[in-house]
Amino acid sequence: MADHTTLPHRFFLSISLLSILTVSQPDLTKELVSLRSSSESGVIRLSDDTVSKFITSVSTPRPYSLIIFFNSVELNSNPLQEFRREFAFVSASFIANNNNRSDVANKVFFCEIDESSDSEAFGLFGIQFLPQICLVDPLMENLQDKTGRMEEEDVDGTAESVVEFIESRTNLTVGPLHRPPLLSKTQISVIVALIAISTPFLIKKVLKGETVLHNSRVWLFCTVLVYFFSVSGTMHNIIKGMPMFVRDHQDSNKLVFFYKGENFQLGAEGLSVGLLYNVVGLLLAYVTNALVRVRSVSGQRVFMMLAMVVSLLAVKKVVYLNSWKTGYEIQTYWPSSWH
Amino acid sequence: MAAKKASPDLLNSSFSFKSLKLKTKQQELLLRVSILGLVYVLAFIARLFSVLRYESMIHEFDPYFNYRTTLFLTEKGFYEFWNWFDSESWYPLGRIIGGTLYPGLMVTAALIYWTLRFLRFFVHIREVCVLTAPFFASNTTLVAYFFGKEIWDTGAGLVAAALIAICPGYISRSVAGSYDNEAVAIFALLLTFYLFVKAVKTGSLSWALGSAFGYFYMVSAWGGYVFIINLVPLYVLVLLITGRYSMRLYVAYNCMYILGMLLAMQIRFVGFQHVQSGEHMAAMGVFLLMQVFYFLDWVKHQLNDTKLFQTFLRITVTSAILVGGIALGVGTASGYISPWTGRFYSLLDPTYAKDHIPIIASVSEHQPTAWSSFMFDYHILLFLFPAGLYFCFKRLSDATIFIVMYGLTSLYFAGVMVRLILVATPAVCLISAIAVSATVKNLTSLLRTKQKVPQTGSTKGVGSSKSSSKVTLDQSQPFHKNGAIALLVGVFYLLSRYAIHCTWVTSEAYSSPSIVLAARGAHGNRIIFDDYREAYYWLRQNTPTDAKVMSWWDYGYQITAMGNRTVIVDNNTWNNTHIATVGRAMSSYEDEAYDIMRSLDVNYVLVVFGGVTGYSSDDINKFLWMVRIGGGVYPVIKEPDYLVNGEFRVDKGASPKMLNCLMYKLCYYRFGELVTEYGKPTGYDRARGVEIGNKDIKLEHLEEAYTTSNWIVRVYRVKPPTNML
Repeated sequence: MADHTTLPHRFFLSISLLSILTVSQPDLTKELVSLRSSSESGVIRLSDDTVSKFITSVSTPRPYSLIIFFNSVELNSNPLQEFRREFAFVSASFIANNNNRSDVANKVFFCEIDESSDSEAFGLFGIQFLPQICLVDPLMENLQDKTGRMEEEDVDGTAESVVEFIESRTNLTVGPLHRPPLLSKTQISVIVALIAISTPFLIKKVLKGETVLHNSRVWLFCTVLVYFFSVSGTMHNIIKGMPMFVRDHQDSNKLVFFYKGENFQLGAEGLSVGLLYNVVGLLLAYVTNALVRVRSVSGQRVFMMLAMVVSLLAVKKVVYLNSWKTGYEIQTYWPSSWH
Repeated sequence: MAAKKASPDLLNSSFSFKSLKLKTKQQELLLRVSILGLVYVLAFIARLFSVLRYESMIHEFDPYFNYRTTLFLTEKGFYEFWNWFDSESWYPLGRIIGGTLYPGLMVTAALIYWTLRFLRFFVHIREVCVLTAPFFASNTTLVAYFFGKEIWDTGAGLVAAALIAICPGYISRSVAGSYDNEAVAIFALLLTFYLFVKAVKTGSLSWALGSAFGYFYMVSAWGGYVFIINLVPLYVLVLLITGRYSMRLYVAYNCMYILGMLLAMQIRFVGFQHVQSGEHMAAMGVFLLMQVFYFLDWVKHQLNDTKLFQTFLRITVTSAILVGGIALGVGTASGYISPWTGRFYSLLDPTYAKDHIPIIASVSEHQPTAWSSFMFDYHILLFLFPAGLYFCFKRLSDATIFIVMYGLTSLYFAGVMVRLILVATPAVCLISAIAVSATVKNLTSLLRTKQKVPQTGSTKGVGSSKSSSKVTLDQSQPFHKNGAIALLVGVFYLLSRYAIHCTWVTSEAYSSPSIVLAARGAHGNRIIFDDYREAYYWLRQNTPTDAKVMSWWDYGYQITAMGNRTVIVDNNTWNNTHIATVGRAMSSYEDEAYDIMRSLDVNYVLVVFGGVTGYSSDDINKFLWMVRIGGGVYPVIKEPDYLVNGEFRVDKGASPKMLNCLMYKLCYYRFGELVTEYGKPTGYDRARGVEIGNKDIKLEHLEEAYTTSNWIVRVYRVKPPTNML
């Protein structure tokens, strides 16, 4: 483009640009403030256009700093979204703490760029991995510069780490974090009221000895539940932090529920196998204990057949899954003369 | 196994001949005794696969220590054993053996040995040690029978005995040669529980006394006694809450607790923990609560005025809880009551060990259990267990409440740690036995009411147990028989599958000694790698008697027991710093490691290497744990230095620190010249399936002393420092 412009032309252009910039820079801050007030918890969503508007086409020093959280909704990662929420807490707390000091509050803006919709802006920063937070200070020109980034080992997904990052890089203080309480005030009051109302009834029932705790069926249900969670390897899932299922490496639409290999499992497979154990066991108990007393002969017969077919299928399925998972092949040892 | 399948229905059928009462009873007794006898023998011989496959030898790691101490005990006598200071391990610290072990197993084996010698059977102590575990497994089946009889009926007892005789969850720790604490401990555990349940049922002092002695035996044998001392009070508490308090319970618990505690204090390793450690406080709390209950009962008896009693009750309960809380708080704050240990804590909060104690998390048997491990160890018992729970709830009594609580708590713990499947096994067998026994009983009684020929039906079921129950479904039999018979056939089919599974698992998976390795050759023939013993005997024959050997802690017990040389660390992981020092040496550069080794007076370094044979549990695969444990104490060791993008590699792409650390050098020294597999370049590591990254390894301060025939064990000599002059 420069080849086609003459020298006076360029001079005029730069003068006019400069005048636009000097005139519009306070306006940009105002615009950011209005964007901030309209967005949830004060995190401004930057798009490809707004990135160029607020960062790349503004000459340094800019009158404000931006703290950008790089996000990707498409990645569908829980820790990332949790971190995003923490980031929002920091933003909201910062605004609340500096509400009546516009000189401080309008120096820093919390922003977010989403990879799934604005990949161009994403590429501009040269982001290779997530989560990442970048401080664009007033003097920063090269966006690929890594000095503005939060260091990898400091990114631990907590709001505190973000506060520390901001306070160490700028002269501003964020102030105390305001996390929303787990339950809102109305919810708490409703719960308290419910408890208060039900207490006399509960006490009466306990004294009379007719609570659910006195019902052996409830206990039976609880024990079966404990058994179910024990043998389905729930502890394994909790300790090793296994997901319920994973996506296939080759085909991202395909879900993998069963993991081949002896000492690992995914969440769903354990639960489904545990369910099969319980189905067979409880059917057996029911058939031999309760069904015998049923008067209708045909009812007995039908239910028994049904129970047997279900049990047979369940046992076969579990045995099949087990041999598939472990790769073991159980053989019988017959006397060698029988072969 | 045939005996097991035939047992319940034959028993039930014999009940039906009511006219010949005396004779049937005798018949039944004969049947019962012979079935039990068969089960007893079965439990013993099923565990002999390892002796048949390999030879009569001690397995794995810890048993070698037990064997060494037992040998010492039989040679030097009990008092020498009790006061033994072992300078051959944990150099330069040494270890007070008498004060840091559970002597139950050694004393038991020594007693058996002395008895046999007294009876003029001159056996070697090793044979006694090898066969101790199967012998106690057989005894456990007897206890299981009596326990089953106590909580349900004799049929359930017999089935329980048969199930536990071959249950893989138990066999895994009790095959011939696995001479470990658990071998006798499960017997002691079940015996204590049985005697306690019996004591609660009868309220008799003698049973309570028996259970106290059972508890004492358990404490002397295994650290798992903590499970008893927490489960029993929990059980008592549940009985108190559910209004099942009785004088019987009072007698049973008080006698068992007080006597058991006093007896347990005689074990030096346990000492005063019963009154000082937080893990034992639940038992004491329940003991005090029991007294409060008794006192209240007495006051109620004395006072006729109910209103007065209500006030009194309120004041007493509040003050008792207050006093207890204050005492616990003061005790903990002043340090008199020690807080929970890491192992205990990691059971309650499963994620604790992973974050805080790498030395616990590194052991493979401390990993959480996946469902396939449960299936492998319990097989069809998993299907029967819920049915058993249902039956227990149908007939709630003090005994069934106990077995349900035992089953559920132990299954939860089994989910947290693979090795605790062992503790849950007796409970799973018992509850499943209830399911089998009750099912068979119900079905046969159904058959009998409908038709007068029940026996043919059920025995036919036994006979055709090989065929699938689906076949029976397809045959349209007259209705009054078919449903029940089909179900019976199904149950017996499952049981026969269980027997097949157990036999296979025992023979293929649980009978390898892990000190001698076996593999299948290209033509299906068995290849035996006996490198460990080769190396240890080499150490014994060719090194000075005062030589100090450094290796990773896994091999410490074996080196002292078989090589008879002093080691720096061993499997008794009591001193984390010392282990971390070894981990640091292994993960440092050679010259840094040399300084560490000089400071520990190390003469030889022993590493285990599977690159030639494809043996996967070698030191390179354990190496990251050495780094983690070393780095836990010495922050100069950093795990990321050994990884490339979070990945552990040994090939060309490995990190430079990895390629030059001591462990890498010792494992792969001269390996670059070797062709391990046809068609692959030299230095191809078969255990990891890669070509190694550093083929030109030069050693400066160490020299190769011995490498076994399959390269599994490599021993290096540490050179003395060069002359300064």
